[in-house]
Amino acid sequence: MTDEHPALVLRGLAKQFDGKVAVAGVDLDVPAGSFYGLLGPNGAGKTTTLSMAVGLLRPDAGGARVLGHDVWADPVRAKQLLGVMPDGVRLFDRLSGAELLAYHGLLRGMDPAVVDQRAAELLDVLALGDAGRTLVVDYSAGMKKKIGLACALLHGPRLLVLDEPFEAVDPVSAALIRDILHRYVVGGGTVIFSSHVMEVVQRLCSHVAILAQGTIKRVGTLDEVRGDRSLEDVFVEVVGGRTATGEELAWLSR
Amino acid sequence: MALPVTSSGGREGGGTAGQVTSPDGPAVERVRPVSARHFVRLKLRVMGNSFRGQGWRVAMFAGSVIAGLWFAGTGFFLLAAPGLADEPTYALMTAAFGGGLLVLGWLLLPLVFFGVDETLDPARFALLPLSRRTLVTGLFAAALVSVPAVAALIAAGGLVLASGLLGGAAAALVAAVGVVAGLLLCVAASRAMTSAFATMLRSRRVRDLAAVLLAVLAALLGPLQIVALAAVRQADWDRLTGVARIVGWTPFGAPWTVGVDVAEGRAWAVPVKLLVTALTIGALLWWWSRSLESAMVGAAGGGPAKARSGPTRAGTGPAGARSGAVGQLFPWAVGWARRDRFGALVARECRYWWRDARRRANLITIAVVGIFVPVMVNFGGASFSTGDGTELAAPNSSPMLVSLSMVVVGALASVTLANQFGFDGSAYAANVVAGVSGRLELLARMAAFSVYVLPMLGVVAVLLGMVLGRPTWLGVMAGSLVASYGAGLAISAFVSVLGAYSLPETSNPFAMNSGAGVAKSFLALLSMLGAAAASVPMVVAAALLGDAWLWLAPPLGLAYGLGAALLGAYLAGDVLDRRTPELLTAITPRR
Ligand SMILES: Nc1ncnc2c1ncn2[C@@H]1O[C@H](COP(=O)(O)OP(=O)(O)OP(=O)(O)O)[C@@H](O)[C@H]1O
Ligand SMILES: [Mg+2]
Repeated sequence: MTDEHPALVLRGLAKQFDGKVAVAGVDLDVPAGSFYGLLGPNGAGKTTTLSMAVGLLRPDAGGARVLGHDVWADPVRAKQLLGVMPDGVRLFDRLSGAELLAYHGLLRGMDPAVVDQRAAELLDVLALGDAGRTLVVDYSAGMKKKIGLACALLHGPRLLVLDEPFEAVDPVSAALIRDILHRYVVGGGTVIFSSHVMEVVQRLCSHVAILAQGTIKRVGTLDEVRGDRSLEDVFVEVVGGRTATGEELAWLSR
Repeated sequence: MALPVTSSGGREGGGTAGQVTSPDGPAVERVRPVSARHFVRLKLRVMGNSFRGQGWRVAMFAGSVIAGLWFAGTGFFLLAAPGLADEPTYALMTAAFGGGLLVLGWLLLPLVFFGVDETLDPARFALLPLSRRTLVTGLFAAALVSVPAVAALIAAGGLVLASGLLGGAAAALVAAVGVVAGLLLCVAASRAMTSAFATMLRSRRVRDLAAVLLAVLAALLGPLQIVALAAVRQADWDRLTGVARIVGWTPFGAPWTVGVDVAEGRAWAVPVKLLVTALTIGALLWWWSRSLESAMVGAAGGGPAKARSGPTRAGTGPAGARSGAVGQLFPWAVGWARRDRFGALVARECRYWWRDARRRANLITIAVVGIFVPVMVNFGGASFSTGDGTELAAPNSSPMLVSLSMVVVGALASVTLANQFGFDGSAYAANVVAGVSGRLELLARMAAFSVYVLPMLGVVAVLLGMVLGRPTWLGVMAGSLVASYGAGLAISAFVSVLGAYSLPETSNPFAMNSGAGVAKSFLALLSMLGAAAASVPMVVAAALLGDAWLWLAPPLGLAYGLGAALLGAYLAGDVLDRRTPELLTAITPRR
């Protein structure tokens, strides 16, 4: 069933902000069942690309298809199949964790009993049950990430789009999230996530794309992209980073 | 093209930083003191940057400048009138009452309606090594650089002219000093008030008390106006002058009356009045600095009392019907709603109207205005006639007047939704991702708001009917109320989709972006006029149909209001479906 269409197809996505190019034509094919890592330095356009892919931001040009459904022409079908955790976006954080999950579940048209059961399970697994009725606004940054992930997972989507899921998360929780995502992919789901943590990408991903200055610089399976070097070396080469020579910022040491 | 420009701007900034920490010496010793000037420049820079590439923001700012100038011009001539007409008898009264009104407006309007311009959010300075004194003076100086402050200064310039015409150059000079001091007083008062109330509304312990206090404060506007009107009508000028003299010694009138004092030969009063003003400003700034500190820490922390009771409920606690996640989401008041998309939207909105300080402040305003407008309209005549011994319950009211006042109340209440998406900010992304249809979204929002507002309006109608001693008018009142409320909801639905703007993400429920006050007033005015116009049939019917209308109004009004709201949600929902991402961008605050 998933064989007919790739999980996510991006074609010529482009976006400018006030004349400044953020994304300059991105093509991407995310095969169903893949674990896709989107790498890139700060300001590369990862968030912008993913926002356009899921229908949060209208692109200047190009389009996106989720399992064959156009995100802009047929948003209802496409969005049903999607689970999204955006970055830099607030949650409805004046709800408690359980309330937030219930809201998301019902919004996705789920049965209340199923919502109750899954919400309790997710809160338990992600170690958020202790927070009780604390409002999400009072959660720590890592807890917010985790409840955001729970919201994206709740309705059992076919494609998960996660922006920086490992940011601000402690090692134990990160391992837990990796575990969950891994099981999700083994179970037939597809994940695309952005990150700048090389080890995580190297450990998890089947496919990698490196985005810099709004265009895709490298794309393919993990082995194709990294060859016989480490992913970090490839990344630094592609992005063209500089290393501190020791001359500048001399005033920092005294 | 834009890139080199910004980067060179950045380098320029780096250059000035280089002066502070020159490369050859140890940096720390040569820290330059931070003065108010830096805050003012920072504010101007932030304002300027927020205009970049945002045409509508520039337009909004231009609008606020025009509105400010109009107000300034009108105020100037009103305050200068005694001088221009060479009527020294009225000079003291104009200065004391006009100036007092200005102070009162600065105190109350930000709380009740406009909010304060928080271009510089105090919480952003929490980590900087600035003394409290530096911070307060800096923020105070920055607050002075605003359209309302400049407009008030121009308006008060009328007093300088009047004093000059009546008492010569010396009087004008003293008046100028007084006017500047008065402006400082106004700004300090508005900052201290909003900051104190923001602190109180944030705290779980006293926030309900704060809400009541706010309501009472705003409700004071009503009786004050009635008293003022009655006083003017009775036209006992001698007594009024006496009152003006007393007001002139309070902080409300002291700074504004010094010029007149010189002109009338009471120069000895000037230093005393200026001292009163200075002490008041000092006290206000001190008060402000106290609550400022708690605002800065409060934004980072959150306070201990935030964890809500009953932590065991979420998971393994005593199992009950309400212990599930879904049961927790639905508040008691919407227990009737089905556990589906619509129900979830309504439940979440209901929770938000109560838990979000900004929304709660709006609800309080509705409650206050809902009581005060009908009283004003229907008893406006009563207070005039009480002097002649006429009974209070025979005001110059009629079904038409009652109906009109109810139309105003209904329209005012519905206008709160004119920027309903702005309340959510970027959190609205959740609904976008879930693909909620526009019609459902708008309908749910209307329903949730009505859960709070309809009972409130009902109480207003019943109270008014009882006070007027006309229980038979209740039907007319309810009919007009629901009709205009429904029509207002429909119009607000369109306005909220097409004219949404972002609200700053601070912990201060009164904070507004610069210029947003104008957008708010403009959009609110638009929606209100629309709602009122749409309800004209109800008023006309009340005037023409006589007693038959007493029975026809409730069903017809209900049908009209309900129909309008449904139609509005239906049509505006389509618009929303077409521009959901644009709406999300518009309400996402730029940080
Ligand atoms: N709303 C906006 N208005 C103007 N410019 C924007 C906006 N959002 C993003 N940009 C610009 O677009 C570019 C790409 O930003 P984006 O957030 O997509 O980067 P990113 O790859 O997610 O970076 P990071 O790793 O830091 O999250 C940046 O140069 C940014 O300045
Ligand atoms: Mg990003």
